[in-house]
Amino acid sequence: MELLERYLEAVRKHLPWERQDDILAELRANLEAQLEEKEAGLGRPLTSGEMEEWLKSLGQPIQVAAGYQPQRYLIGPAFFPIYWYVLKLALGWAGVIYSIVTVVTLFAQTTPNAMEWVGAIARIPWVLMMTAAWVTVIFAAIEFGVSRKWFDKRELAGTSSSWTPRVGPPMASKEVGGNKPRSFAQAVADVVFGALFLGWFLAVPSHPWVILGPGAYLFRNSPFQLAPVLVPFFWWIVALSALQLGWKVVDLIRGTWRGRDQLQHLVVTVIGLIPLGILLCVPNHNWVLLKHPELDRAKFGVSLDQINSGIYKALLLIVAVVVLQLVWEIVRRSLEAYKRRVAAR
Amino acid sequence: MTLSESIFENLRLELRRGCLTLAVLAQLRQERYGYTLRKALAERGLEIDESTLYPLLRRLEAQGLLASEWREEDKRNKRFYRLNEDGERMLGQLLEEWQALNAAITASLGMDGIEAPASSGDASG
Repeated sequence: MELLERYLEAVRKHLPWERQDDILAELRANLEAQLEEKEAGLGRPLTSGEMEEWLKSLGQPIQVAAGYQPQRYLIGPAFFPIYWYVLKLALGWAGVIYSIVTVVTLFAQTTPNAMEWVGAIARIPWVLMMTAAWVTVIFAAIEFGVSRKWFDKRELAGTSSSWTPRVGPPMASKEVGGNKPRSFAQAVADVVFGALFLGWFLAVPSHPWVILGPGAYLFRNSPFQLAPVLVPFFWWIVALSALQLGWKVVDLIRGTWRGRDQLQHLVVTVIGLIPLGILLCVPNHNWVLLKHPELDRAKFGVSLDQINSGIYKALLLIVAVVVLQLVWEIVRRSLEAYKRRVAAR
Repeated sequence: MTLSESIFENLRLELRRGCLTLAVLAQLRQERYGYTLRKALAERGLEIDESTLYPLLRRLEAQGLLASEWREEDKRNKRFYRLNEDGERMLGQLLEEWQALNAAITASLGMDGIEAPASSGDASG
């Protein structure tokens, strides 16, 4: 009996505290009845070894107690697909933003050495781990809220009864380009991340560290400054992002979020050429200027020319890629329209 | 355990999970406490672990399908469970579902000319 008591005490430690006594009393009654029957069958008390074997067969105390715990998840099956999607998106963006910030920071210095590059690369796992940890913490908090009935799980997971198969574009535009239709979670995540990007980008003029990181400090104390012509470029990007965000919100409200809007993509790509054009038309390609040209020209003039020349080359490359994408998109859409017309005959 | 044995074990547990609830509800049309319920199920060929059965009784009670009371029997306090009205109704609905499923599977096997494979392993869980 002593072993049984010890076993029950071990189970107690893992039981929900508010029902410990009640559960344990019931378990004890059931196990004692079972034990009595065993001993009556044998005509003698169980030996210590037999008792140990029997208790072992009941399972480890922690496992026995686990059955009485409510089913708990860090992130349950209802949210896991959304969590997984957001995690991939967040890791991707974290990688991109970190890379841009690091490259800008390193180039804002004079000449980054190999050790600085190695250090920057070595920090990537840490950045990704922190991003994953934050996303996981947020989703675990949501799951916790749902388990406490603070939120409606079906509404959050997009599986409420208000959902209908009409939410989504017609079949014809669904599989264009072989892309999978988007889920509601993806559409919501697009809006959330679109809004976050817009907020982040709007914060750049007043808080340049959000884009340059520690490089903002270096840049402020450097002899260089950005040309005022970048202001209209900035507002074009803001307008473009706001347009995309608005479009996505309208898609969500209208219930047409399932498809990848080809027209939207085309319009945004065309409008996106305008700010690039503005940048390319900057007189003498002076995107970066010297704060005190008369003082610093001799010392930093060569660096300045190199920076502006680098920006010019990068811009040309970006414009070429965007134009090629646009041409490809137009050709593809024309071919698809032609195929549909032929099929309809 | 081979991969196919492991897959079989998972599928078997999934299949049993719902059936066990049905069997427990069916047995509790008559009042019983945990251990006698376990014995009654075992006598009818449904072995069930203590660590599965006793928490299941608590869950069914929390779902409002069972009524329970502490009572002394053989000089020992025991918690007796019995189906309440909601439990009776639920059992009826589940039995209908079970019979429909059973009929559908039997019909499918008959129509397709597939013979049920020989059973392997016991029914414990």
